[in-house]
Amino acid sequence: MSSHWKQDFPIPSAEDSYVTRREFTKFLGLTSLAFFIGTCATAGRKLFKRIRGDQGQRVAIANLSEIPVGSYKLFRYPTENDPCILVRLSEDKFAAFDQRCTHLSCPVIFDAATKQLACPCHEGFFSAEDGRPLAGPPKRALAQFSITTQNAQIWVSRPEDVA
Amino acid sequence: MSLGMRVRDRMNVILQMVTTLIAAILLGQLWLFSIALDAMENRTVSMRVAIVAASISMLACIAIWMLIRFFLRREQNETGERA
Repeated sequence: MSSHWKQDFPIPSAEDSYVTRREFTKFLGLTSLAFFIGTCATAGRKLFKRIRGDQGQRVAIANLSEIPVGSYKLFRYPTENDPCILVRLSEDKFAAFDQRCTHLSCPVIFDAATKQLACPCHEGFFSAEDGRPLAGPPKRALAQFSITTQNAQIWVSRPEDVA
Repeated sequence: MSLGMRVRDRMNVILQMVTTLIAAILLGQLWLFSIALDAMENRTVSMRVAIVAASISMLACIAIWMLIRFFLRREQNETGERA
């Protein structure tokens, strides 16, 4: 015997959950549109970041006497939200990299003994010469900046190769 | 089996084929989205990668809408009604 409320308020549940073919295909189309908009938004954000980064022109970040051989200095470039690291490998050899590990963005630290940049989070290692990954989970090289010295100062600028 | 039921069955089969194709394209779009995200996060990845990903995603989106349009038009021709 069915309940009284079912007789008084019959709910056709089968009809309720029925999805027409038109609705279903529309849902698929809208999902595709959402993916496209998301991809465009991320590409737009990349473009915005690049334009904003271009505003950061050549900047003096340290004096030559400030950094002895085998040491490093942290700085921010091109914006205050972009941590970077400058390392002095020899008397006249410097290298500057984005400090964020290419694995999960932990800050890398310089190990002068091995001349490597190490990510302490997941044991990732990069070459301090060119930023290429040597060991651990990172697969991509650290973003490198161009370094020039002039008037006893170290200048950093964006590399030309990444468009 | 009546003619109406046969037509409905055929449309269901076509819908399954179209849905499979659309699902494959959607997976591709998801992959492109992940590539664009990666390009946004990583400075070493070129801007061109993100632009190409967005362009291909647009083509995929157009393809999906055309497939849907094709299916709905065919359904309308076969059944004479908007399902």
